[in-house]
Amino acid sequence: MTLQKDPENSEQKRLLDFADLTDALVLEIGSGEGRLTHKYAGASKRTVGLDPDRDALRVAQADCPADMRSRVAWVCASATNIPFTKETFDRAVLAWSL
Amino acid sequence: MPHEGMVHALQEIHRTLRPSGILIDLRPVEQNWAVEIVTAAEQKTAGWLTDMPLGIADDEAAFRSIAEAESRGWFVKEREEEFSFFYYFDTPSEMKEFMDEEWEDFEKIDDATYLKTRSLWASANADARVRVRVKMLITKWKKIEMRQP
Repeated sequence: MTLQKDPENSEQKRLLDFADLTDALVLEIGSGEGRLTHKYAGASKRTVGLDPDRDALRVAQADCPADMRSRVAWVCASATNIPFTKETFDRAVLAWSL
Repeated sequence: MPHEGMVHALQEIHRTLRPSGILIDLRPVEQNWAVEIVTAAEQKTAGWLTDMPLGIADDEAAFRSIAEAESRGWFVKEREEEFSFFYYFDTPSEMKEFMDEEWEDFEKIDDATYLKTRSLWASANADARVRVRVKMLITKWKKIEMRQP
């Protein structure tokens, strides 16, 4: 099956239009396999992809473009117990997660 | 995630965002998504999908949760827009297979719409593909500082 999701990159364009990620620490809640994360993390200072599904995070890590790996971290955790101290992030992204 | 979990997650996001931090909520909204046949030259609408109860309930829970976060004074809405997100398939049968496997509880294609899709696709140019136009909502929320009692 040949399935293409958003080849126009509408999602990425809207996200970057809505939130300036330059020099920003970004937390994506429910990052899954990193489909969207991989499209915008390069514009951020550093991005953390958070998801409770360890297998999905493995895929996200494996598929992460080489030039982006130094600025993306993947954390296995629930959105109801985010393992970071208060006031850590400049931006939070809930993509297909609420 | 149930409503209470969503609200708790929004509280956690509020806690971990810096003062004046921004939350972007980006998600599909169930609303009879269109099935279209597209070629380089044209696009035609074959029909619309049927929203399933679970998908509608999920949307309602999400809207209720973010409204609660707003009413609790965690976030204020700064901007909101709708846009289209497309799923492309080479053939109508591939689209149907995907829907049956992935969207069973959320969206359904009725027989008449599927037959129309097949018919339009079969009579279109060789480069014809099928796509589903998903309605997306993106909202920018700004963190509000909680006043100490």
